Amino acid sequence: MQAKKFLTGLSAAAMAVKMADVDVITSFPIRPYTGVMMVLSQMVANGELDAEFIHADGEHAQLSIAGAASAAGSRTFTGSSGVGVTFAMENYSPISGGRYPVQMLIADRTLDPPGDFGSEHTDALGCRDQGWLMGWAETPQEVFDNTLMFYRIGEDPRVRLPQFNCHDGYFVSHIPGEVQIPEQSQVDEFLPPYKPVNPLDPQNPVGHGPQIYSDQGPALEAMRANAMMASMPVIEEVVDDFGRIFGRKYPPFVEEYMTEDADFVFFISGAHAHTARYAVRHLREKGAKVGLVKIRFIRPWPTDDIAESLSKFNAVGVVETNTSFGIARGGGILGPEVCASLYDASQRPLIASFMAGLGGEAITLDDFYFMAKKLSNIAESGRLEKAVYWMGFEE
Amino acid sequence: MGKVQEITVWASGVVQDKEARDVAQCLAAAAAKEGKFVQGFDNYVDLPDRVNVPVRKYARISDSEIEEKYLYENYNPEIVILVEPTLVKGINVLRGMKGGGCLIVNTGRSPEEILKFIPDKKPLKKVACVDAMGICPKAVIDFSGSEGAADAAGVGIGIGAVLAGAAAKVSGCVNIDSLMAVVTNAEAARRAFEEVVIKQL
Amino acid sequence: MRDYTVKIPKEKLLPEAGIVKSPLPNSEQPDMITGGWRILRPVIDKEKCTMCKTCWIFCPDGSIEITENEVRVNLKYCKGCGICANVCPVGAIDRVPELDFDDVPVRLEKLF
Repeated sequence: MQAKKFLTGLSAAAMAVKMADVDVITSFPIRPYTGVMMVLSQMVANGELDAEFIHADGEHAQLSIAGAASAAGSRTFTGSSGVGVTFAMENYSPISGGRYPVQMLIADRTLDPPGDFGSEHTDALGCRDQGWLMGWAETPQEVFDNTLMFYRIGEDPRVRLPQFNCHDGYFVSHIPGEVQIPEQSQVDEFLPPYKPVNPLDPQNPVGHGPQIYSDQGPALEAMRANAMMASMPVIEEVVDDFGRIFGRKYPPFVEEYMTEDADFVFFISGAHAHTARYAVRHLREKGAKVGLVKIRFIRPWPTDDIAESLSKFNAVGVVETNTSFGIARGGGILGPEVCASLYDASQRPLIASFMAGLGGEAITLDDFYFMAKKLSNIAESGRLEKAVYWMGFEE
Repeated sequence: MGKVQEITVWASGVVQDKEARDVAQCLAAAAAKEGKFVQGFDNYVDLPDRVNVPVRKYARISDSEIEEKYLYENYNPEIVILVEPTLVKGINVLRGMKGGGCLIVNTGRSPEEILKFIPDKKPLKKVACVDAMGICPKAVIDFSGSEGAADAAGVGIGIGAVLAGAAAKVSGCVNIDSLMAVVTNAEAARRAFEEVVIKQL
Repeated sequence: MRDYTVKIPKEKLLPEAGIVKSPLPNSEQPDMITGGWRILRPVIDKEKCTMCKTCWIFCPDGSIEITENEVRVNLKYCKGCGICANVCPVGAIDRVPELDFDDVPVRLEKLF
């Protein structure tokens, strides 16, 4: 019997971490993700969760300890936000290359300067090349579910890669939503204990992270690439199993909403998909042929699923809540990846980027109506007026 | 999107932060029990709170799904609850209130004394006062529920329960039975429901 | 070549990188007028006050003003922390609920 509770994204994550029986937790405070460590430290202190709780002296140390703990064979949890994520940057590649399935909870926060607690996805997206799985949760329920699913996917012997479990700071981390908490037996059935391969162990000594000659490089990199791509069929298996055990069936990579005969769609990831769905509903009531495509995994990027989905439409509006100054086509990070996915497709929609929600501003229904109007013109005229729109600065 | 009833709770930072959060959470939870669509959350930029610097907590109640969930503030509150009465003087706590709203103040003073400090009374229909410490002498200071973490001290154990009960009576936003079911100190909520002094304007 | 410039309307422009002159002499930040936060107002009893300046030294806010013949609290900024009342060697300062006073030194339209 699943109990229904009203939890914030952070409390939901902590609940999932407890039920996953994590072995090592490393923490360092930064707003807005700190709440998850507040709850976890309380659980460890009063015996609800049997885990080592290590408070590091900075995010760099936090990740370094987490990687080492995972290398020794423990199920490890850590997290950060904003500039904390970038401070730990040095550790991401060694952890993924060492094949340590650490899970890092990222509650997004705009990168400095200036100091802004609002949510932008750049902090996590800036680390997308490091070899970690990466996906966004839209609601506290998804945060809970992703925490369990990511461990299962990341620890799978065919994958063994660390994971960024991302969600928007404040919108999902601090605003409560309904979360179904399953029975412990269901979690145990879904998530078996972590079986490390070649852990650091005095009884069976191994050497991790050696120095190599450059001619050994290509093979190691190719093997890591294979592991990342091997996660794709694993993701499909895991969401099926998740649906079977918990009753919530997620699409593995791409979620479509009201796209049946859509002319143009919003392409989005994260919390704002919630508002976007209502905007689509209202626009449909007024006769617009609009839909929504939500992407669940940024890494591995589901190239074929995206191509198959988006090539059906005449125009795609990529909603970018991130910045990448000087990137190709001048928009955000998702735009070029969408374009690349469609490069080989026989049918290609026109693609426009909408820089929205920057600084953590809420994207309102009116903002989506504006985007829909522009996309409608693009779809109808068959021409792009311009490739990038900055919401708030357009007439 | 249907109409959303906005409730704003004002309090002094740190010393009343938990109680203010409890008021908003109890009202939201009670409305959820009645089948309404709700949100209950803290003002993001007021946290981390500083001692005696005003903080705001919000609740939203609606008969239909709340579509714009991510707005940072309640820009048009219908119900304003003051855990710290002095804030009625130094800050325009009724800012954005459109009309027919109510103000509930934690004080032993009379509604007339409070009204003295409100220059523009037009948006208000009712002003109510309740001496929360008199009903339940507990203003709990606890940080476990702050910043998205889970409250470990118990929701509605002190003056928060009292003010939620008073707000339920004055505004009718939730039934007292639903409120008593979600609040730890149900007796305090019930007493406030009966003893709150209301002045119609 | 493509024009990537974002056209920002004048009223939305901010100083570059958010850099401002600081401190600005003889200026006031309307969002930072803190007197509205005060719950207990310090009241100085002129009979008892010896003009020793201890309260002025200890006020963390610089909200105590001294002239030739009186010590005065700047009610626009005083946050009511009570340190002055605590350190006064002759007990000349009382902390009185702000709501007891009819005058309104500060009323903020909004918080920040």
